[in-house]
Amino acid sequence: MNKNIFIRVIFIALVLFLAWNLRAHAVEKLNIDFDEDDYMRAGQEYTHLIRTSNWSGFLDTNYRPEHPPLAKIVIGLSLLSTPERDLIPDAPTTAQPNKNIPSDLIQPARTTNAIIGVLTVLLLTIINPVAGLALATHSLTIKYVSQVMLEAFPAFTSFVTVLAYLQFKKKEKKNWLVVSAIFLGLTAASKYLYCIIGIAILIDWFLESKSKQSFKLFFRQAFIWGFIAFAIFFVSNPYLWIDPIGRLQESIFYHAGYSSSAAEVENANFPFWQPFNWLFFTPMVWQRNAFLIAPDIWITFLAFIGLKHLWKRERVYVLWLGIALLFLLFWQTKWPQYIIILTVPLSLSAAEGITSLWNQLLEWWKNRRVQKTVVNKNEARRAIPWLVPGLIAFVIFTIFPLLFQFIVSMTDFNSASIRDGFQGGIWRAFWEGITGQIPISEWDGSRANKVRFTGLTTYPYVFEAIATGFGSSNSILFFNIMWAIVSVFLQSGLGLGVALLLQQRGVKLTKFWQALFILPWAIPEMIGALMWFNIFQEEWGWLYLAAKKFGDDSLFGLFVNNLENSSSLWLITFLLPALWYGFPFMMLAASTGLKFIPSEVYDASAMDGANRFQTFRYITFPLLLPLLLPAIIVRGIFAFNQFYLFQTFFYPVGTLATLSYNIFNPTGYFGSGEFATSAVINIITVLMLVVFVAMFNRWSKAEDGVTHA
Amino acid sequence: MRNISVLRQILTQFLFILLGSFVLLPIWGMIRLAFDGSLRGRPTEFFFFPKEWSFTPFLQVLDKPYQSVEFEVLLKNSLLTSAGAALFAILLGMSLAYAFARFRFYARKQGLFTILLTAFLPPVAFMTPLYIVLGMLQIRNTLFGLVLVYASFALPFCIWNMRAAFQSISKEIEEAAFLDGAGDFQTFQKITLPLALPSIGISGLIAFLMAYSEFAIGWLFVDKASNVTLAMSIYAMMQTQYSGGAQPWSYLGSLAIIMSIPVIIVFLIFQYTLLERMLFGSTE
Repeated sequence: MNKNIFIRVIFIALVLFLAWNLRAHAVEKLNIDFDEDDYMRAGQEYTHLIRTSNWSGFLDTNYRPEHPPLAKIVIGLSLLSTPERDLIPDAPTTAQPNKNIPSDLIQPARTTNAIIGVLTVLLLTIINPVAGLALATHSLTIKYVSQVMLEAFPAFTSFVTVLAYLQFKKKEKKNWLVVSAIFLGLTAASKYLYCIIGIAILIDWFLESKSKQSFKLFFRQAFIWGFIAFAIFFVSNPYLWIDPIGRLQESIFYHAGYSSSAAEVENANFPFWQPFNWLFFTPMVWQRNAFLIAPDIWITFLAFIGLKHLWKRERVYVLWLGIALLFLLFWQTKWPQYIIILTVPLSLSAAEGITSLWNQLLEWWKNRRVQKTVVNKNEARRAIPWLVPGLIAFVIFTIFPLLFQFIVSMTDFNSASIRDGFQGGIWRAFWEGITGQIPISEWDGSRANKVRFTGLTTYPYVFEAIATGFGSSNSILFFNIMWAIVSVFLQSGLGLGVALLLQQRGVKLTKFWQALFILPWAIPEMIGALMWFNIFQEEWGWLYLAAKKFGDDSLFGLFVNNLENSSSLWLITFLLPALWYGFPFMMLAASTGLKFIPSEVYDASAMDGANRFQTFRYITFPLLLPLLLPAIIVRGIFAFNQFYLFQTFFYPVGTLATLSYNIFNPTGYFGSGEFATSAVINIITVLMLVVFVAMFNRWSKAEDGVTHA
Repeated sequence: MRNISVLRQILTQFLFILLGSFVLLPIWGMIRLAFDGSLRGRPTEFFFFPKEWSFTPFLQVLDKPYQSVEFEVLLKNSLLTSAGAALFAILLGMSLAYAFARFRFYARKQGLFTILLTAFLPPVAFMTPLYIVLGMLQIRNTLFGLVLVYASFALPFCIWNMRAAFQSISKEIEEAAFLDGAGDFQTFQKITLPLALPSIGISGLIAFLMAYSEFAIGWLFVDKASNVTLAMSIYAMMQTQYSGGAQPWSYLGSLAIIMSIPVIIVFLIFQYTLLERMLFGSTE
């Protein structure tokens, strides 16, 4: 037992060491970013007030009043030991960051934030060392807590708010509730956005009281909790004391206005799913020397795996994560620093993900030894003539190309070395590289007319490129995953809906309607895509011609204008064709499935007085889902690979397309004719599909077990 | 359960009309283009019905659709490659599927997993290496090369499908024949093949359709105009149109319609069988 604690302490110390070093490195290297000059000026004003003991000045000082003052006061405190300097000049929010901030100001301010960031890591590491490790290395978090931003302090206080609340939940001691309220108030006085933790806590609390049937107590305690939080918010926000309502309104309305009309928000033109793009992103692509590692995307993946376990263990963290993401999806301002509001629960979920992966691996290892494949020597001999011709073809046309792609992915084969490559250069480079005769020349995008061996050095570049969308933060990888999920979800929804409508007793013309609805499925995908392109094309598409004819105020004109100004709406131009093309298949699958459900079941439910919705929710849907799931998975994988639609649409931006499209049309800084990077994307896609199919295989086996039992 | 009320009937029909318009809108867009004789290039003005109803685009496109290649040649190429691909996929797939269904040999499970996996890989993944393979075999730029490529795309799917069919045939019947002194091949030919024929036919049909509508990969391997298929010619036409080509858009529309009609007929006839094969065949 003692030994365990010892190991734990050592681990915590190591994580803290790592967290501090990474942040200190970032403090030193990071360039001055947007907003840093503003908050620096805000901090300087407070420093001046403190130095001159001008306490009443606090009542009227709040540079950038859209954010409450507390986090700025913290910056001000950190500047006390520095020499007095002139105020950083005032600049509009659209201005480029001011590069001339003296470094003896910027270093202490950043360091203070970084220390608070390390404190957050410390708390998390005590709760869950692996989660602490995740947060310590998360590069986006490192960036924004190591700059003169307002993130570090509220990130810390909001985490304490939750911890205190959890203590209260466990021990039922009201002292903890007071602590929680105090820290919520401090959070609110630093940056409003972090207050979503309050919502998560309230929901968790409500659910808890629902299970205990103690609503009255909940409402009373929650009211007191909220009241204390508000009081603390007010007390620690001297700027509000003179004109509370007016100034509160001012700061809140600023955000509403900013998010809908500020020029920089419009210029950024982020799609609504941008928060997810940030989760797939790493600020390393902006500044390589400031970060040593960037495990962000892996933390995101692991967090996804761990969600279920985290929910079982501590619901409030999942609520925190979910509400934060939901809020960011709807909130129109989508700056990367907003992600810091959820990196703590994200890290916790990632830790759960690692644990559950590890357990699955152990289980698999145990079962592996038990399984024995039955081999019959006689049958194996008899199988040979049946296997040989097909296997030869399979090896030549499927296995060999995959191997070849893998080999190409370890070279820098491109259009400059095409002649050499096709004359055996690929094999030569691979062979000499693998046997160590020539050194690995790291891939750097340069081109030579001889094929060179790059080993696996291209993979990190390409993976980063597809994860961050060539550094543009429009993650191709996320788009691809989202595309598969959203398009199949819509197809299944519509298909199921139509199947249910068709199945109603006594509907007229069902044969006719069904034949009509099947049409899109029967049309070759390319032609279908062409038909839709004919509507959405920007110059001579039907929609655009209609907009031209009926004017900007018509329905068409408005739609076209919105389409051009929004990166989110672009998705519709792809989703509509995909829905059109895919729903008939799901409709047929659902109709077939519905036939398997005996009508007695419905009669019984009608006898019990169930209404239509209840019948669907508790009878039809659960019986139908296992029949539909194979269709959903098969279509999901096809959607993941969707190529012809994007190819036909000819849309020049490769980040709004699947990986398949990017294999065929390498864009971004890869340029055309980069066969090697294309091969790397290819191998990465194949690896991802291996994971999908293995999961699918496992699932279908589990399903077998159920049906045979 | 009673029949639905009149109100629900009306509501349902209304929803169907809405959905029907969603289904028909893009199709109508294409038809409108195809039957418009007045187009001299891209459409420049919005109109819902063809300005000038005419069959001439169809007649003209049937005359010389793509780079002075006759329509019959395109159609012949399409049919030849598709049929060839289907044939190869069936023959090769059948023997593999039978082996996987009947014999217990080394690494059988891993082999099956690999095949399932390759069925789910995007065809684009094989593009560059196939280019080289075909070059090495000296069959690039030939229809035969295309046949082999398309067959290899359909192969995993066919294996998966036919294996399920073979497995569903009782092993006892075969063993009886085998004990009567029939060899493996004879048993297969006399007993298994006739019983599995419907599944084999459907696998072939799916392979045929896959090859029939493929264009992007084929385009890489063929640069001789006389070896171009219908799907490829539509894609080529589309690309020249994007870059401001001279042919009227009606040609594109009519060619697309001509190409789709046979597929639509096949799908309408075989809808449920196709669905079952595409869906449940791949999950067994």
